[in-house]
Amino acid sequence: MGSIRFQGVNKVFGPASSGVKVLDDINLDIAEREFVAIVGPSGCGKTTCLRMVAGFEAPTSGIVSVSGRTVTEPGPDRAVVFQQFALFPWKTVRANIDLGLRNKNLPKDQRDDLIANALKLMNLESHAEAFPHQLSGGMQQRVAIARAYVLDPEVLLMDEPFGALDAQTRVVMQEELVRLARVNPRTVLFITHAVEEAVYLADRVAIMTRRPGRIKEILDVRTVRQSENWDRFNKIEDVMDLESFVHLRTHIWRSLREEKGAQGV
Amino acid sequence: MVGRRAGIGLTTVASVGVTWWLLTSVTGIVGSARFPSPAEFGVSLNQILTRGYAGAGLAQHAVHSLKLVVMGFAVAVVTGIPLGLWMGWDRRVEACVNPIFLVIRPIPPLAWIPLAILWLGLGDAAKIMVIWFAAFVPSVINAFAGVRNIDRPVIEAARMLGTPRWRMVREIIAPAAAPMIFTGLRLSLQASWTTLVAAELVGALVGLGFILNMAQQDIYPGMILVGMVAVGILGWATTWLLGQAERRALAWNVAARD
Repeated sequence: MGSIRFQGVNKVFGPASSGVKVLDDINLDIAEREFVAIVGPSGCGKTTCLRMVAGFEAPTSGIVSVSGRTVTEPGPDRAVVFQQFALFPWKTVRANIDLGLRNKNLPKDQRDDLIANALKLMNLESHAEAFPHQLSGGMQQRVAIARAYVLDPEVLLMDEPFGALDAQTRVVMQEELVRLARVNPRTVLFITHAVEEAVYLADRVAIMTRRPGRIKEILDVRTVRQSENWDRFNKIEDVMDLESFVHLRTHIWRSLREEKGAQGV
Repeated sequence: MVGRRAGIGLTTVASVGVTWWLLTSVTGIVGSARFPSPAEFGVSLNQILTRGYAGAGLAQHAVHSLKLVVMGFAVAVVTGIPLGLWMGWDRRVEACVNPIFLVIRPIPPLAWIPLAILWLGLGDAAKIMVIWFAAFVPSVINAFAGVRNIDRPVIEAARMLGTPRWRMVREIIAPAAAPMIFTGLRLSLQASWTTLVAAELVGALVGLGFILNMAQQDIYPGMILVGMVAVGILGWATTWLLGQAERRALAWNVAARD
């Protein structure tokens, strides 16, 4: 299991001198098996942070490293779950999940076992031979999560994974993700603009400023969750009713609203 | 739905046939020197099927033309799709190839015929070359556009999964671009037939275009129509076969669009 470190990361889109500065001196450490959510106003560069860990973008200056190794290119040790699922529509659910395992040159019987486990984990067993377009959005995102989990990655990168889902499906997926995270904690970097989602899922929540994005504040949710024993509830609405939850949520809301105010919106 | 569409299609064809018959045979508004009547068409068809015309039977002419189209089309596809995929994947390749394309593209494929005959004579090789030139461009352009239009996250997902280069082309790039590639193939096939008939009109000793050329010199409208209809039917049949191949190859996409 891996850790993530941002050290003095700046990012400018376009020429370094005249381009648009999107990230300003990002410093963030995510420990092994820690779940960190980044929230921020749209365009603040939170997705760019994730894309740099994934290796899709390089920092203009500073270092992004995973388990001590500087990120240079994409790789299966950093599995990504995309907002728009990004499944391969010409492959069945099974073949979608299998591709990363085949790339690792694992033997067939081992792959079959891993796929069976992943399908079970995400309640997809009866859809293994279906094509993505035959599934609902929520089911498609389950496939994308299974495809990421099956790789047993060092870190899991989730870029607004539930943003394209309807409200009810989103709640179900959030509850499932909590279940997964409690059973088998992983290092997760989770990008979202939904405040409740961040508080419900994360151990820590990093709040970003508007562009150029800086980390304004980092909130420790885990301590509150453990002292108030949120995990005694299975349903998100029960947790959301708790005073400790409301307190954190309101705090983040105020902080984000200041950013919107500064933007004149 | 399909039954209803087919019904409408058949009705249209039947009305065109009846109109043809009325204009030429019944009223005589269109004289037989301008356009053959159904009876004259039948006589010409019978002649070429039983005794042959322009040195061969209809089947022999048709098979020869079909062979040239298939060969020219195949060469164009085999060379054009990889080049298009490569151009779409690597901007440097596009930067190299595009300037040449910009100059060559406006030249009608038929303008290559004189040069092709000079190089390769009046035989089949020159015709295959011209068909290749004509069919090449749509294959390249559409394969290129197909790659360029792939959703970025799909490519990124494959890279994130550690997909090696060759598997990337075979399992991600090619299938993702396949719907566009098939559009290109259809255009290429059409261009192949157009070019073939033109090439055979200019210089040939056998083939459907040669029938048209001879029948024009013989002032034989019935036989001209036989040649045209034969081209039409073969063109339709090859397009239908391509459509079947597309349906099989893109089953996932056809269903996704419905």
